[in-house]
Amino acid sequence: MPLPFNLGAKMASIPNVPLQKNALMRFSEWLTVSRFVLIACALLCLWLVFVPLASLFYVAFSEDTPAGPGAPTLENFVNAYTVEHLWELVENSIIFAIGSSALTLIVGVAIAWVVERTDAPGRNIFHGLSLIAFAIPGLIIAMAWALTLSPNIGWGNDVLKSVFGLKEAPFNIFSMGGMIWVLSSHYFPLAYLLMGPAFRVLDIRMEEAAVVSGAKNWQVTRRVTMPLLKPAILSTLLLIFVRAIESFEVPLLLGQPSGIKVFTTEIRDAIAEAPPEFGYSSALGLTLLAICIIGVYFYRRATRHAEAYATITGKGYMPTPISLGAWRWPVTLATSLVFFLALGLPLFTLVWQSFYFKTIPNVSLISDFTLESYIYILKYPVFLSGLKNSALLGVMSATIVVFLGFVMAWIVQRTNMRNAWTLDAIAFVPIAIPSVIIGASILFAYIILPIPVYNTIWILLIAYVTMYLPYGMRFASGGIIQIHKELEEVAEVSGATLMQIFRRILLPLMSPVMIAAWLYIFVMAVRELTASLFLAGPTTQVLGTISLTLWEEGGSFGNVAAISVIQIIPLIMIVGLMRHMENKISKR
Amino acid sequence: MLAIENLEKTFLTRDGDKVHAIGGVSLDIEAGKLLTLLGPSGCGKTTTLRSVAGLEKPDAGRITIDGEEVYNSSRNVAVPANKRGIGMVFQSYAIWPHMSVFENVAFPMQVAQDRSYSRSEIEEKVARALEMVRLGGYQSRPSTQLSGGQQQRLALARGLVREPKLLLLDEPLSNLDAKLREQMRFELKRLQMELGITTLYVTHDQGEALALSDEIAVMNAGKVIQRGTPYDLYHRPTSEFVAGFLGSTNFLPGKVAEAMGTDGSGVVTTLHGPVKCSFGQSANVGQEVMIVIRPEDVVLSGAAPSDPTNALTGKVTNRIFLGEVIDYLIDAAGEELRVRARPEWDYPIGATVHITLPPAKCIGIAEEKMRAA
Repeated sequence: MPLPFNLGAKMASIPNVPLQKNALMRFSEWLTVSRFVLIACALLCLWLVFVPLASLFYVAFSEDTPAGPGAPTLENFVNAYTVEHLWELVENSIIFAIGSSALTLIVGVAIAWVVERTDAPGRNIFHGLSLIAFAIPGLIIAMAWALTLSPNIGWGNDVLKSVFGLKEAPFNIFSMGGMIWVLSSHYFPLAYLLMGPAFRVLDIRMEEAAVVSGAKNWQVTRRVTMPLLKPAILSTLLLIFVRAIESFEVPLLLGQPSGIKVFTTEIRDAIAEAPPEFGYSSALGLTLLAICIIGVYFYRRATRHAEAYATITGKGYMPTPISLGAWRWPVTLATSLVFFLALGLPLFTLVWQSFYFKTIPNVSLISDFTLESYIYILKYPVFLSGLKNSALLGVMSATIVVFLGFVMAWIVQRTNMRNAWTLDAIAFVPIAIPSVIIGASILFAYIILPIPVYNTIWILLIAYVTMYLPYGMRFASGGIIQIHKELEEVAEVSGATLMQIFRRILLPLMSPVMIAAWLYIFVMAVRELTASLFLAGPTTQVLGTISLTLWEEGGSFGNVAAISVIQIIPLIMIVGLMRHMENKISKR
Repeated sequence: MLAIENLEKTFLTRDGDKVHAIGGVSLDIEAGKLLTLLGPSGCGKTTTLRSVAGLEKPDAGRITIDGEEVYNSSRNVAVPANKRGIGMVFQSYAIWPHMSVFENVAFPMQVAQDRSYSRSEIEEKVARALEMVRLGGYQSRPSTQLSGGQQQRLALARGLVREPKLLLLDEPLSNLDAKLREQMRFELKRLQMELGITTLYVTHDQGEALALSDEIAVMNAGKVIQRGTPYDLYHRPTSEFVAGFLGSTNFLPGKVAEAMGTDGSGVVTTLHGPVKCSFGQSANVGQEVMIVIRPEDVVLSGAAPSDPTNALTGKVTNRIFLGEVIDYLIDAAGEELRVRARPEWDYPIGATVHITLPPAKCIGIAEEKMRAA
């Protein structure tokens, strides 16, 4: 391809050659390796983040035509914001998000307190269970709850009906209450994982100082403990709120059947329709995006403070756990009950259902017990290609994100280049973009752009890398901050080149963090559904989309349960590995 | 051996303000000598050291190591840190935790760019370097299992293993506890003298500086205030800052009554009357000056001395018994004097004592205008 202008000719046409050489030398001196990598990474990030967003705006302000976006118009907004159920949409989304984040926070904080601050037995097990709960795909959790507490087919309702002699099913999971319960039961481990460090660094001596000063217990809690925890609580609340408002699987499976619509499901429906309403969904998407950006903005403000608080407490301090005395076992029992209800029950349902092909599990139907579902799934050709795609995407996106995050975090932390922090900021943007919007906008972008990735695995890879970039960056920054700068400097003075420093000092020291990050991103990629739903083509189905198809076809609950169990087992094993890496990191 | 000329470096703060880290520092070290950069934190000593190492790029100036130019702003020369062939010990020791003792020391030879080392040569040199710092036989130990003092010596062995022309030490003793620090001072001095290695040493600890240095350069606010042998700096400070920074000191303000004679002495009128002293630099009659005298140079007596020169009286307001000495606070005409005396001179609180300030030990310092700038 010819360049728009010929650089060589332009230089030769200027007579003052020495001056040119000088400028070129200055340029080559300015363009150091790290600057070059910085610019390359920055451009890649900008492309990943802003191309989809730009196309989202473009499509929102363009007329929908069969040939793609047409003339500029505001009609999409008129359509989107005059529909009569708009208020219903807003109301549902907000109630759902507030309800779930409140319930999640209460349970999460309680668990964090038990695990980090008390001597209740089994704290290690609870931590492991939280990681498992995080690793299980939201779709699978939603399906499991539908199988448990559906008013028609839920075995839980059946049991309750026969035990208490009820005529009506006592629970209906296809309701706002059901949605909030299921999402909270899925997210509370995340709240615990986020709150845990805040409880861990909370110096008990600050509370002791208040007690010695004459404060009563409630005064200590109100005037010392709570203010110290406030930033962490606030940031957790905001993050869960954002994740709840952008959640898709639970509203899709549990809200849709009874007509409860939220933003995410409405956007997906508009695109899945024939003909697809791209403009309308983009216009709605912008509102959703705005809500999330506001949430994330306040989240970042809150976490800035959290870090400041954490540094005050200093290092080398070992917290003494609060002695619960006679309450030790009751507290452990209560915590176990929470995990049993939130994690044990759905998992039990899935395993049980997976051995019944057509019927609803029932003790009296023990003769229906069969392995047919597993045989069906393992012979199902789409399943095998989906498994391959998911694994491939997991490996590729985790590898790329970890590498990018590592390089960019190093540049931000270690070079004294001004504006390096902008990299950090750009890479953080996708946190605020709901997966629904990532999926939709990347779809728009690569339909419009002449880059042939549509219906290939690459468009999924682009989406995954975009979504997980912030996590890669977070892990890497945290890891690099832990490594004293002088460890690299002394290598440099010893004569090592930049590559040698990377290979022989940084990489070995960072490897536990990088492996943990890799596993974390791999898990997220394998359980991904929402964005993939927009981007997966006929030959590029992934585990999530296949599971959803099986569910929506409604042929066999056994199949759905079996495919879930098959996914969960390797994920639990990976969680075991993650736990191992965590221990390795914290030991240093 | 090492020459620094007019080195300058400004930093930009986050708010965009310029901060002069070093403003025109010039220094040189003779081969085989140890020069200490001494000063409070933020005085620019570490920036100077890091500029020599190549870890920091100054804005202007020139640095040569053993005749080779490693930095020259006017000729655009800036040899990168990994090609300067320097040994360096950091404040945090910077021992690589993922490597054994052997691997830590072998690293500089493995990455050397100027020549390659054979395996047996590396083994031999590592063994010799470890022997030197009394860590012989520790090769296979994981470096994280070493104590603080051992890590410090390991860092030193790593810095010395390639027999560099120049050794840079950045507060190497500040992370050790008091007893170990004392011990390591002797160790460092012994090594430096044995190897005859040119050394630039950075510290804020005046005791360390006095104990180790062939010469000291006292820095403040990005500039070298005074340079000289430890003895010179301690006994003939030319500024209030140097006098105050090195050891404890009494300051007596006054006006020059009699300018410097041929023997370098003069008379200053103070609150206590005329005080005979020697001037570090020229001073004019009528100029405001400070007289500096160390607490241990002040002579106490119960009876009035026979020679009334520089004699005054005071009252003991407080005393601390320190074992080998007694520290007194003495009120002399409203001015507080610190006196360090041998325990034989034992006076209770409230006692009236006679004080003599030996003229040879009283240093007149002309107040520099520079300090205000």
